[in-house]
Amino acid sequence: MPSVDQFESVFKSASKVPFIYEPRRFARILLITDSDAANAERIGERVQRFLATVDGRSQWLSAPAGDSETIEALLALVERHRPDLLVTYRNLHSAAWQWPHSLGRHLDVLTQIAHCPVMVIPHPNDTAVFATAMNHTRVVMAATDHLAGDGSLVNCAVSLTEPGGKLILAHIEDDGTFERYMETISKIASIDTDNAREKILAQLLKEPRDYIRACREELAKQGVEISVEEVVTTGHRLSEYQRLISDHAVELLVMHTRDEDQSAMHGLAYPLAVELRHIPLLLV
Amino acid sequence: MFNEVAAATVQATAPAQSGDAPSLGVSLLFAAILAAMILALALEEKLHAKKSVIVGLFAIVSLLLAAFMGLLPFGPVTLADGHRVELPEYIPSIDWGVITIILGSSIFVDVTSKSGLFTWIAIKLTKASGGDPLILLSYYGLMTVLFSAVLNNVTAMIIIGSLTAVSLDRLGRADKLLGFLLIEGLLTNVGGLLTLISSVPNIIVGTAAGIGFITFFIKAAPYVAVTTALTLLMGAKLFRISRLTPDERELAAQRVAVFDENDGIESMGFFWFGTAMLILFILFIAGASFDGWAVGKLGMGFVAMSFAMIMLIRYKAEAHSFYSAVDWDLIFFFVFLFVVIHVMEEAGVLHLIGQGFAPIIAMGEFWGGGLLLVVSALVSSVTDNIPLAAMLAKILASPDFGVATDSPLWWSVIFGANLGGNLTPIGSASTLVAVTIMHKHGVGVSFARFVVLAFPYAVMHIALAVAYVLFFLT
Repeated sequence: MPSVDQFESVFKSASKVPFIYEPRRFARILLITDSDAANAERIGERVQRFLATVDGRSQWLSAPAGDSETIEALLALVERHRPDLLVTYRNLHSAAWQWPHSLGRHLDVLTQIAHCPVMVIPHPNDTAVFATAMNHTRVVMAATDHLAGDGSLVNCAVSLTEPGGKLILAHIEDDGTFERYMETISKIASIDTDNAREKILAQLLKEPRDYIRACREELAKQGVEISVEEVVTTGHRLSEYQRLISDHAVELLVMHTRDEDQSAMHGLAYPLAVELRHIPLLLV
Repeated sequence: MFNEVAAATVQATAPAQSGDAPSLGVSLLFAAILAAMILALALEEKLHAKKSVIVGLFAIVSLLLAAFMGLLPFGPVTLADGHRVELPEYIPSIDWGVITIILGSSIFVDVTSKSGLFTWIAIKLTKASGGDPLILLSYYGLMTVLFSAVLNNVTAMIIIGSLTAVSLDRLGRADKLLGFLLIEGLLTNVGGLLTLISSVPNIIVGTAAGIGFITFFIKAAPYVAVTTALTLLMGAKLFRISRLTPDERELAAQRVAVFDENDGIESMGFFWFGTAMLILFILFIAGASFDGWAVGKLGMGFVAMSFAMIMLIRYKAEAHSFYSAVDWDLIFFFVFLFVVIHVMEEAGVLHLIGQGFAPIIAMGEFWGGGLLLVVSALVSSVTDNIPLAAMLAKILASPDFGVATDSPLWWSVIFGANLGGNLTPIGSASTLVAVTIMHKHGVGVSFARFVVLAFPYAVMHIALAVAYVLFFLT
C-alpha cells in the first residue's frame, strides 16, 4: 500500500525549479586599485577588454589609490559610487600578494559589505599571470554546492560569457560530507544502507541536472548563443574545482561568497578565492 | 468463484451439521463479543492497535468459545462438486475470492504505479488546469472519482491528496487546502460506488447478490456522475473556490508549468506497458462477470492475481519488496473477520441481528430500502463498513429473508455502507487519509469540525442515494 509521503515525494520531485533568464546589466563598474594613475588606467583598459560582453553603455569608474587606503575610505568609496560591479585584486595596499595565502583585509571586507558582485582579478604585479589570464571569457564556469534555483549566479555567468562561448554549470557534492551521513545511516537498523546510498545520491545529483536542463532550454529559447555544459558529480570540492578549471581551461569562475548564516565568507568560496589566483573570479 | 466458495462455506457451516440451534443466551453472549469487537474497531486509534490484531484476537476467542460450546460443525467439508475434504473449521469460512481480489489488486496497483502512469495523469491534469483553482478542483474531483473506481479509495486519496498539497503550495493557495482535501475525501466514497471492485463492501455485497461488474457499473454510474457534479459545485461555493482573474492566470500557469509529468517515468516502455495492462485489467475484471466465460469461472480474484504476477515480471528479482508493501493488516483483517462472522452465524447472532432488521425489510423494497440505506450509512459512519457489509450480505442472503438478487435492498446496503463514511472522519479509511494529510500540512480539523464541514455533503449524498435507489433501482 503506497503512503502519503511516497507520493508527496514523487510530486515534489516532479516540481522543478524554473530558470528565469534575466540578463545582468552592470551599469556602473568601479575599478579599485592601489596603483598610480597610469597603471590604474592600464589595468582598467585590460579589464574593459576582458569584459567585452558588458553593455557598451556601462560607466567605467576608476578610484585613485588614495581613496581606498583605509577600510573606512574603501567603504565610503563604494557607498559614494554605488557600483553594479566592483573590480579589484587580492592584497590591496600590501605586499602580501607575493605569498599566496590570503585575500587581504580590503577584499575580505568588500566581499561581505558590497551589495554588488566583486570581480577579483590576478594581481597586476604578477605580470605573467595577469597577461595570460585577462583575455577572454570564452569559457566561464559557475560553481556552487547548490545549483538548483540559483538563478542569480547563472544569470551573472551568462552575462559575462562571450557569444559562442561555453558556460559550465558545475555542482559538486562534497563526498566527505556525504560519506559522513552514510556512515551514520549505516548504523541505523531501520534504513537499508545500500538503498539509501543509491537513492540519496541519485536525488542529490538529479536536482542540479534538472536545473541545468531548464537553464539550457530557457537560454536556447531566449536566443542566447552560448553552449551550456553540465558538470554534476561528487568529490572533494576544492581539488575537484581546481581539476575542472584546468581540464576545461576556464577563463572566469563565478561563485557565491555571501553566507546568510554568518558574516564570514561562504565556506567553499574562501579557499577557492585564496588558491585560484591564476584566473579572474566573480564573487556574487 | 465467490459463489462456489460461498456454497462450500454454507454447506460446511450449515446449522444442521452442528446439531440444535443455539440458545438465546448463547446467541446474546456471542452478540456481546461481536459488539465488543465493533467497539474496539471504532476505538482503533485510541487502542493503538491494528485492525487485524483486534479482529484476530476476537476470532481466536470466538472460535475457542464456539468449539467449547459445541457450536461448530467439525468434520469434513463438502465442496460444491460433492467432494469431501478435511480442512480446519476456520479455513472454509474465509472468502478466499475476496482475499485474492484485494491481494492481487494491491500488488497490481502498486507495481503499475511504478510505471509513473498515475502521477503522469495527475500532473497532466494539473498543468491542463493552468493553475486555476476552480478548474483544478474539478479535475482533481473527477480524478479522485475515477482513481477510486479503478484503484481503491485509500490509494486514490493518497495520490490526489499528496498532489493537491504540493500543487496548492506551489500555487500559493495553501489556504484552499482544507476545502480541496475535504471534497476529495468525500468523493473517494462516491467514486467507490462506481464499479464492483471499487470498494470492499461492493465486492462483498455485490458478489453475494450476484451483481456482475457491468451491471454494477451501469446501475451506479448515473448516481456517481450527478453526485460528483453537485459535490464539486457545493464545495466550490462553500469554500469560495473560484476562477482566477485574467491578470492572475499567467502567473498561475507559469507556476504549474514547472511540474514535469515525465519525472516519475523510469522507462517509457514500462509506462505504456502499464497503461495497456491497466486497460486490460479493467476489461478482464469486467469479463469475469460472465460465468459462461472461462475467466468468469475462474473469477475476479484470479484476474487480479494474474495481472499482479504479469506486472511483477518487470521486477522479478525484487518481487519481495512488493510483497512486503502489501497491506497485510487489511488482508489479515478480512481473514479474521470472515472467521468471526462464521462463528457468529453458527452462534445464531446473525439470525438475531436479522430479526432486528426484519421490521425494516418487512416494510418492503421502497420504505424498507430507504430506511436500510440510512441505517447502513449511520452505522458505517462510526465503525468499519466492512463488517457491516459482510453481516448484512449474509443476513439478506440467508433463508430467513431470501432477498432476490435484483432487489434494491442490496443496493441500499452498498450505497449506505459506502456513503456513511462521509459523515465522520473515522467512517472510512480514505477520509481518515484526507484528515491525516490536513494535519500534516497544518490545516488539521477536529472530529467535530470535520462532522460540521462534511455534514451538508454527506446529507446530500445520502438523500440523493435514497432517492436514486428508490426511484431508479426499485
